[in-house]
Order: sequence, then structure tokens, then C-alpha cells
Amino acid sequence: MSGPLTGLRVLELCGPVGQYAGKLLADMGADVVKVEPPDGGEARSIGPFVDDVPGPNRSLSFWYWNTNKRSVVLDLERPGDREVWLRLAEAADIVIEDRRPGELEGLGAGYAMVAERRPGLIWCAVTGFGQDGPWAGYETTDMVSLALGGAMMMNGYDPEDAPGAPPIRGHGDQGYATGCHYAVQGILAALLWRDRTGEGQFIDCSVHEAVSSTTEVALPYWFTQRVDVIRQTGRHAAASRTERWLHRAADGRWALIFGVGRDNASWRRVRAWFQSKGFGQQFDEPRFDDPAARQPGRGSPEAAEIFAELGRFIAAHPAEEVYRGGQERRQAWGVVRSPEENLSDPHWEDRGFWVAVEGEGREGRPVRMPGAPYRFSVTPWGLRRPAPKLGEHTAEVLREWLGTET
Amino acid sequence: MAELPLSGIRVCDLTWVIAGPTATRILADFGAEVIRVEHGQAADPIRLGRPIAGERPTLNNSGFFNYFNRNKKSVLLNVRHPQGMEVLRRLVAVSDVVIENFSSGVLESWGLDEAAMRAVNPRVISCSISGFGHTGRDRHFTTWGPTAQALSGLTMMSGLPGKPPAGWGYSYLDHTAGYLAAIAVMMALHYRNLTGEGQTIDIAQVETGMVLTGPAVLDFTVNGRSWRREGMPPGNRAWEPRVAPHNTYRCAGEDRWVAVAVRNDAEWAALRAAMGEPAWAAEERFATNAGRLANEDALDAGIEAWTRERDAYEVMAVLQAAGVPAGVCQAAGDRVERDPQLAARGWWATLPHAELGEAETDGVAPRLSRTPGTNRTASPLLGEHTREVMLGTLGMSAEEYEELEAMGVFM
Repeated sequence: MSGPLTGLRVLELCGPVGQYAGKLLADMGADVVKVEPPDGGEARSIGPFVDDVPGPNRSLSFWYWNTNKRSVVLDLERPGDREVWLRLAEAADIVIEDRRPGELEGLGAGYAMVAERRPGLIWCAVTGFGQDGPWAGYETTDMVSLALGGAMMMNGYDPEDAPGAPPIRGHGDQGYATGCHYAVQGILAALLWRDRTGEGQFIDCSVHEAVSSTTEVALPYWFTQRVDVIRQTGRHAAASRTERWLHRAADGRWALIFGVGRDNASWRRVRAWFQSKGFGQQFDEPRFDDPAARQPGRGSPEAAEIFAELGRFIAAHPAEEVYRGGQERRQAWGVVRSPEENLSDPHWEDRGFWVAVEGEGREGRPVRMPGAPYRFSVTPWGLRRPAPKLGEHTAEVLREWLGTET
Repeated sequence: MAELPLSGIRVCDLTWVIAGPTATRILADFGAEVIRVEHGQAADPIRLGRPIAGERPTLNNSGFFNYFNRNKKSVLLNVRHPQGMEVLRRLVAVSDVVIENFSSGVLESWGLDEAAMRAVNPRVISCSISGFGHTGRDRHFTTWGPTAQALSGLTMMSGLPGKPPAGWGYSYLDHTAGYLAAIAVMMALHYRNLTGEGQTIDIAQVETGMVLTGPAVLDFTVNGRSWRREGMPPGNRAWEPRVAPHNTYRCAGEDRWVAVAVRNDAEWAALRAAMGEPAWAAEERFATNAGRLANEDALDAGIEAWTRERDAYEVMAVLQAAGVPAGVCQAAGDRVERDPQLAARGWWATLPHAELGEAETDGVAPRLSRTPGTNRTASPLLGEHTREVMLGTLGMSAEEYEELEAMGVFM
């Protein structure tokens, strides 16, 4: 079995901003060719590196965001290579690039040069701010995109936890990832249009707009009530302060508690569990029977008492035990894990989530990393090849796509 | 009306809360006919979610609901009624996509498992978003966005060293699971265009976060380094690439901040010049990235001494003019009222709504030159399109509709 995009040719000219869009297509079967500068550019210069030794083929960031792609080296400053780029673009179904607005046009290597000769081509430009507007020429980074897009202003601390703390960024290039999620939505919508009509088009995807559309309740609050939400430690930003969700467990880790016993059946299960461990003996009193009285945020003394006892209970148990015990009693509780701690949770093994790759410095010694974000019954996600070495497929791709021998 | 790229695609939308409606918002923006199947006795809680217009929730006055459900239709259907279930099967039979985000097992309890769905519509694309997926020993566990974020590692990756996790401040993974579901559905539609074959898609919300932690996982599997270590998470300082200065800096006014990211020596020189070449910044210890990283506290203090007297937007403009990446930490109000980029690109729109008035909304992020996504209607009132869909889409006679209505099927 192979992915739903098998047979599609995608040409990618992307660094850290847009390369995840290429991965999303490549992992589902598209033949994605990544065009890279002779030194590999920024994408290969980002750590961490294998054994902390830098090198174009040793970036773990590159390993992750470039699975299933092939690499072709071209120097777009050179006219001969620019010609090859244009011919590759003409041979492609989809082009994804994250150069500054106008940069490729300035080199004579942009969409307009190809579109006329290849009307079915879908060309997606992923940029910090879009192709036009007063900030089109602004520099961006992942953090800058999360600042301007509004994500950071929702994330941070209660003043008593960290006085004067700034808005906080979530790590892992989430602004770029969000931009790429929207870019791929656009590419696929354009592909469905092309399936019907044969027509291609240009897609202008702004990371700023993508992040700005990914702030949940913030815009609705402004639209509806002209209120800006305030940030709080480890929980949702809200119009006013709410109860805490994070509770420190006996092992120093954090359990995330999202309501307790919302319905009576789950309340009885939680109560029995607490009482079996010597907590919450008072919960038998009838005043705890009303579900509304058990919910936080309404000033209920019963809710305050439940959450205080919950805090004592959690402080006496390891966080993973709290998480599993809660879930087994139908509470949507969590535990704050470090990303790699999921490697030892057998549920993900059951689902075959992890995949293994080899690469420079780890030849013959495969290492695990995350696999599929979705499971397709007919055309599954698949790891066909690890991220390419710099220029590994230049000759092969020119032969296959252009029929040229180098 | 201009044709849209998903015109002619019908989505039977059984989703609620945020993750599922995010997926169908995207499909609807691009022209799919999205029919929300709703239940009066177990309404989508977001229909009651704040912010609301007015004093009390009415099921139709939530700005929260409106934001995620524009361009859709709503039908009321009692699926616990045998006739209601039959109507749902008829809707499935004429839909291209069925999508739900119940906990694993709920649809089966309705008698609409995979086999039943495929029996009425072999070509259907069915997409499920649940917390832990439909396979695996913990498949019956459940999540809200924050639960999934905590488990995936994303919560841990956001915060100041020595402090509790800060992240994420909202349900980032409700958005993200919805985005990936929309992507998956469109990929499956493309495959069906080629082959005629439908399929089933299983999305676990926790996994949609785990796939966004890849380099951190690899740092462990390759280098044995855990994110859980001294000095981590690094707040707004850079993780990788390790560059400095890279942080948020306080500006004039209450709770105003600018994010500044210097990626190399040239940008450091540009930042120094933009600050007016202060003497402290010329010190040898700040001349290289390694030196700046070793003296990050002093470096950040020096920069903040300059920013804190200044307006955040002015700092951004000065730094961007010098080629230094900088951005104001904008709240929603800033984006709507002050952001010249979003305004210039026509990002904001209003759509008339019976209880919200001229309800504000935002645009469609990927701008397709030929067939852009559009804002056509505000969110539907509960059951607004029941009759229209039953008579029009399912071809019921008025008599049949009224008979079913009298039996309590449409509630």
C-alpha cells in the first residue's frame, strides 16, 4: 500500500519556515524533491546535531522535518542552475517555496516564469507575512510569528508564580508548523480544484495569518465583548482568573486536572478511589452530591474543598499514577510529560506510532522518532526513506524528471 | 457565486467542541456543504460557551461557537430515536465525508460503526478524531486540548526554567488536530477522485502533538538528552539554533513586550546601531554568539534598558527597518485594531447573525489566487436548516417530514 498522493511531483525550495509542508506531502506518498543551496543553507545548520557535531547531514531538526524527500543541489545565483530550477518547476505538479516575496521573481525564477507554460501548476509561497502589505518585507522567526500572531499573549504565568514574567513562547517551531498546516490545506484544496478542471493557481500563505487564526477564544472575546484574555500558569487564558489545573505530584512532576466528577457516576468512582487511599472521607456528605457544586469557577465551597483535597491526594502519589487512575475512572486528566517520555508508554507501541531512522553517525543503529499524525485505512502514512543527504539525489532526479544525464 | 474548490462535497458533520468543528470550518471555507448534526438534549457545549452576546447563553449567542462554525448548516436530529438513526443513515448515504470527534466507542454505541457506515455508503470518507485513537490499550482514555498537550510534551516545552510549565494558554491541539483532520480528508478526497475508493481515517489528538516534538525526541534517542533538565525549558531564549540575543523585552506601557531574535553577528551589529551604539554593547564579551550566550543575562538587561522606555510598535519598526527580526506580543485587540498588515490584507470581515448582529470573523489563511476560500454565512442557529436539508438534500416529502417531526425525530 502507498499514500494517497503517490504519483504527485512536488518541488520544494524551503528552509525552516516551509519545509514541514513538504514533509506532510512526502509522508503521504508524493515525490518531493528538495532543492538546496550548495552549502545546505539554514535548514541543515539547526541543532541539535548527532553527537553534538555539526555537519550538513547531522542536524536532527533536518532529519525530522525532511523525511521521504530527495535532495537536489542547485545554486540559484548561477544562470545554468536557474534554468534547471525552472525546468524542474515545469515538470512538477506542486511547488512550495518560502523565499521572501519577490525574491524568486527578481532572479527570473518565480511563478510567473513557469505558470504560462504549465497552467496546471500549483505554486504555494509560505512567508512570514504574505506577498503584500506593509510588513511583507519584515523579517520573521518562529518566536516573532508567535508574538505577532497572538499565541504568546495567551501563554505565561499568574503573577504570584513568576512576578513580571513576559508572555511565553511554546517551543518546537509551532508557528512555522501552523503556517505549514494552512499551506497544505491550501495546496490540497487547489489540488481538488485541479482534479476537476485541470487548472493550477498561486497560493499566498502568511504564517502571521495562520497563527492569528490559531488562538482559540482570544478573537471571539474581542469580537463579542471587546475583552482581551489574561494569561495564567499552565491553563487557559481567560477573561478573569480561574482555578489551577496543574498540581505537583509526589515525584515532583505535574498532574493536569481538568474538572472532577462532572457527572454523578464518575464522581462516585473518583470518590471511592480517594477514600480507598484514605482521602476525602467527608465526600460522603450529601452537599457533595450536586454536580454543579463540584465544579470550579463558581465560588462553590464544596468545589474548593474538593480541589484542596485533590491537591493533597496528588501530592501523595506519583503523577503517572494520578493520570492513569483518573483516566480509568473516566476523568480526562493528564500528566505533563517530556516529549521522549512517551517512548515508554506502551499505548503508542500498540498503535505503531514510532518509526526508526538511520543517518550519518548512526549507520546501522536506527533511532526512534515520531511517525504518523493520522491512520488511513487504504493509503497509509509511510516512511520510505530518511531525510536525504545534501545533494544525494541530484543526478537521479534530473534523469527522472528531466531526462538529462549529468 | 464563484465556484469554490470543494463545491459539490457534502460533509455529514457529527463533530462538537473545537477540534472537529475546526476541521469542518476549513472544509466549509473552501466550499464544502457542511451539515452539522445536532441534538437539542445534548447540545454542543460550545453553543453555551463564553463569550456570549447578552447576559445568558441561548444556544445561539456564543461568539466562541460562531468563530468555529461559519459557513455551515445545522440540522436537529435525535439519533437515540430509531427513526432518527434511520435519517442519519440516509444522510450518510448521500455524504462524501462523515467526521466526528467523540471519544472512541461512542459512534459504535449508536450502531453506526465502520461496517454499518460503509454498508450504506461504500465510497464514504470517514474521519474520527479522538484522544488516543481507535487502537491501543488506552483507546478509551479521553482528552481535552490541555490533556493532549500535557501528554504530548508540548506543555513541558513552554515555560521559564525553574517554574511550572506555562503552556499552552489555549487548546493549541484542538486547532492542530482539526487542521490535520482537514488535511487528511482532502488527501482522501484526492485519492477517491483517482480511484473511486473511500477510506477510514483515525486521528489521535495526543499524537497530533507528539508529531510536533520530533527534534526533541531525536535529541533523546540520538544524544540521550531529555528536555527535562537544568535550565529547561528556556523561556523565550532560543533552544535551537542557540543564538543570542533572543528573548522578549519589556516596553513602555502596561504588559507591553517585544520579541527580538538575533540570528547572527550581522543582525547583532544592526541591533547595536538601532539602539544608538550604547557603550555596553560594544564590550568584547558580546562580540561573538558564543560570548553573547555566555553573558545572556547582562545582554538581555542591556537591551531591555533600551526597550522599556519605548513603545513596542516603535521598537519593532526601528528594528525591522534595520533588518532585525522583531515583533510585538499582540493581544487579540491589537491584532484587530492596530495591526496594519492584517488590515491591509483585508483580514477581518463581518457576517450578519440573528443574535450576534454583525458578527466579526477573520479570513482564510491560504489565499488561493483562482478559487479562494470565502466567508459566506455566520454560524447556523440550532436546527436552522433541518427542514431545508430533509426536504432538499434527502428528498423527504413535506408529509414525511411532518410525521417524523411529530415523532420527535428532529429535536
